Amino acid sequence: MSQSQQGSPSSPPEGAIAIVSPRYGEEVVGGAEDVLADLAHGLQARGHAVELLTTCAADHFTWANKYPEGRFVDGELTVRRFRTQIDTPGHNRDRIGARLLAGDAITVQDQQLWVNDSLRCSGMWHHVFDHGHRYRSIIFAPYMFWTTYAVSQIHPRRSLIMPCLHDEPAAGLDIFAAMIEGAGGLLFLTEPERELAQRLYRLPARNTIIGASVDIADSYDPESFRRSYNIEGDYVYFAGRREWGKGWDDLKNAYGVYLQQRGGRRALRLVTSGVGEVIAPLGAESQVLDVGLLSNAQRDNAMAGAAAYVQPSAMESFSRTVLEAMAAGTPVLANGHSDVVSWHLDRSQAGLTYTSGSELVQALHFVTDEPEAAASLAQGGRDYVLANYRLDPVLDRLSIALDNWFPTPTSATHERPLEGVR
Amino acid sequence: MTTLIVTPFAPYRDGIATYASQELAYRRQRGEHVEVLSPLPSAAHHHLPLGAAPGWAQLASQYGHYERIIVHFAPGLIFGQCRAPAERLAVWSALAVLARRCALELRIHEIDTDGLASNQLERRAAGVVFRWADRVTVHTRAERDALVDAVGSVAEGAEVIDHGQYFAPRVADDKHAARRELGLDSASFHFVSIGFLQRHKGFDRAVEALTQALRSNAAMSKVALHIVGSARIDHPDIARYVVELRALCRAHPSVTLHERFVSDDEFDLWIAASDAVVLPYREIWSSGVVERARLYGRPIVASDLPQLRDQAPIGTILCNDTAAFAVALEKVWSTEVGVVDLERDLVEDAPPSPVERTGWNVASVERSAIESQIGERARRFDLELSGLDPALVDAQQAAGRRAVDSLLALGHLDRPPATSARPGVASTKKAIRRATDWQVEPLAKHIEALQRATVEAVAALETEIAERLDSPEISSMNLETASAPVRVSEVRAGAVGNPSTNEPNDNA
Repeated sequence: MSQSQQGSPSSPPEGAIAIVSPRYGEEVVGGAEDVLADLAHGLQARGHAVELLTTCAADHFTWANKYPEGRFVDGELTVRRFRTQIDTPGHNRDRIGARLLAGDAITVQDQQLWVNDSLRCSGMWHHVFDHGHRYRSIIFAPYMFWTTYAVSQIHPRRSLIMPCLHDEPAAGLDIFAAMIEGAGGLLFLTEPERELAQRLYRLPARNTIIGASVDIADSYDPESFRRSYNIEGDYVYFAGRREWGKGWDDLKNAYGVYLQQRGGRRALRLVTSGVGEVIAPLGAESQVLDVGLLSNAQRDNAMAGAAAYVQPSAMESFSRTVLEAMAAGTPVLANGHSDVVSWHLDRSQAGLTYTSGSELVQALHFVTDEPEAAASLAQGGRDYVLANYRLDPVLDRLSIALDNWFPTPTSATHERPLEGVR
Repeated sequence: MTTLIVTPFAPYRDGIATYASQELAYRRQRGEHVEVLSPLPSAAHHHLPLGAAPGWAQLASQYGHYERIIVHFAPGLIFGQCRAPAERLAVWSALAVLARRCALELRIHEIDTDGLASNQLERRAAGVVFRWADRVTVHTRAERDALVDAVGSVAEGAEVIDHGQYFAPRVADDKHAARRELGLDSASFHFVSIGFLQRHKGFDRAVEALTQALRSNAAMSKVALHIVGSARIDHPDIARYVVELRALCRAHPSVTLHERFVSDDEFDLWIAASDAVVLPYREIWSSGVVERARLYGRPIVASDLPQLRDQAPIGTILCNDTAAFAVALEKVWSTEVGVVDLERDLVEDAPPSPVERTGWNVASVERSAIESQIGERARRFDLELSGLDPALVDAQQAAGRRAVDSLLALGHLDRPPATSARPGVASTKKAIRRATDWQVEPLAKHIEALQRATVEAVAALETEIAERLDSPEISSMNLETASAPVRVSEVRAGAVGNPSTNEPNDNA
């Protein structure tokens, strides 16, 4: 991605669409961020005036300011970057977060302390405060970040929130309920995500499922990936954030047990790409390979070469990587506690779900012992992705939502029917 | 000019944070360069842990270069958890330094008058800050009076500014659109009480008032009261109040407690959807909800508190107690044929008097019953004109008591005896008394004289009022003067007669 700086910030063009993403850039790994970047570039390519508002950070743990602040142009897309403030010790975040995880009731005051005791981006807030009225609509994701919480409430009825909702304690907080219930519209990625939202909130009438797009390669070259990293033999693959919240620890532990149980028999290696520290289980160091950040093409090749793709996260609102694996013709082993991933697999039949560490271990044995049967599971996967998750239908659905909910003088005068992704 | 506003700020939501955001927008639209500093991490440009002397001292040393600093003054922001007199004195001292360093405006939202009354040193320190501040602003005359009581005459120069000066509506929905958005029945009559749930907001009084109104007027159908808000902080008193309020609301089918944290837009949506806004506060300084109701032109029924009396727009119905609220709710509802009509009435006419707030009882249409009501209303109206509170007079008459009784009940000023069971203490007390008698004795005598004079004056006033009220001549004379006004043309023609005899005026 090449970006050219356009000098000091100026007012946005009247009627532009703003897309607010916590992070943006080639080094950024994050499902919501990827979806937002696709939407921004896609709408821009269709002739909309679009501005992507984001922070100067690339790492969602440190939120350090890596990129310069200012207004840039990436291709045709205007990107405005604002510096983050990480100037609190995080004691409130830790203290209240622990109570939240323990299931305690949290007062509104404490909820506000919690959400403000992490990343903040006052420059972005003041930009939207001063110029937000010029935007036709402002699209935010995901729900839990300060950039969404604080900024979407400046012009809530102009705000389109794509919550990327997970079934987690934070989703039940009053502050997020007020934000979501008061939004100008909601965009969901899947039907299970909307069902979860309906259980948690009083949803505004303006809500729809637009889905999201997945990079679908025309062809794959798994051998080039193997050659690049000297990989011999079969492997299972995980791509994404290697962190507790994404189920990485569960995968790592199950893989350690699996290796022990294999003993001297043939075993699959565990190959992983993405961000976050990788510490292999004791005795399995040579079997776990961290290839770091991959280009989209190399990631697709890694997917295509894998005996199975593992999705250990229960907190998925879309699960882009699962769909990328399906598109590559690779069977998926997924955490069945995620309603969204189970939903994808129920519809595509392109993999297996597990609901415990032991089940994951056995699933790994199955893929090792019965590779052909495992591969045959993936047959319907690519067609499922092609039918539902290409960019054009997603942009069509978003455009209809924008025209219906935030019409411009040149928008269609009659409401067009919104058909959610099925 | 570069201005720094010191305030709680978004995305925190409380009245002052909302006020400050609107002031920020207002000033920026006029080309001012304004930055914000908040006591907690927020969307403000800067944050400092205020609420204690070190924070304010840091503000004075690091931010004194701003051409103007506006501090949104409220006890929580200024003193935080500081309770000890020494801590509070230190805070005032740091504020005094700040006032010396820059043009400081103290925008008073609330001040702890009790603390200042009980500590002369703190009162003096506060007086210095108010003297050195470039500008002190309040939102009502009653607040300025309270401020003068609290810190002395130095606060007399405080400017009264319009609470709603910076406010702008957040939603453009008309009443019906707002109701659609909130899922409310468009044909019903909706009262709304909105804000954080806490006892001093008095939402329970609104429930009881509506219940009384519904009981007294069976015709009041399709009327709903919506209480909208949530508990803000974790405090046992608030938790207890919310539990009570929930139970109270559950027991009344016409009342719905929407217990949730609402966005600023939804807050305005509720006001826009309402037929009237009910503010049954037990205490308040000035109210942001009053201003938001005014923005949307919604009638207000509010507690008769000095600050609200000053702040409320013309047409606001002020009530002293639950019974008065019940009457007011019924009155607002009864004009529901068109709230527009009601609004016009309210704007064009002076606020209704307490007598006007009382409806007619037409359960019996017997002439004597109606006459009796007419007589009673006339008596109460006269009392109002005399500046007396009819409710108070009624209560005293009912109890067979006179106003002077409570003064008499005070008795004489008793000074504590200089005795003690503990060895040596009695003689110490006597020594202290001897040493201070020259100062205390004249004060004690003066207080006793003041009490006697007050008793005599009130007793005389009571007698006079009783005589006036009992005198039929006074009423009839007033009536005749009013119904037969003297005309200038008649005076010139010498044709004006004596109103009581209808004889020509010989002195013309």
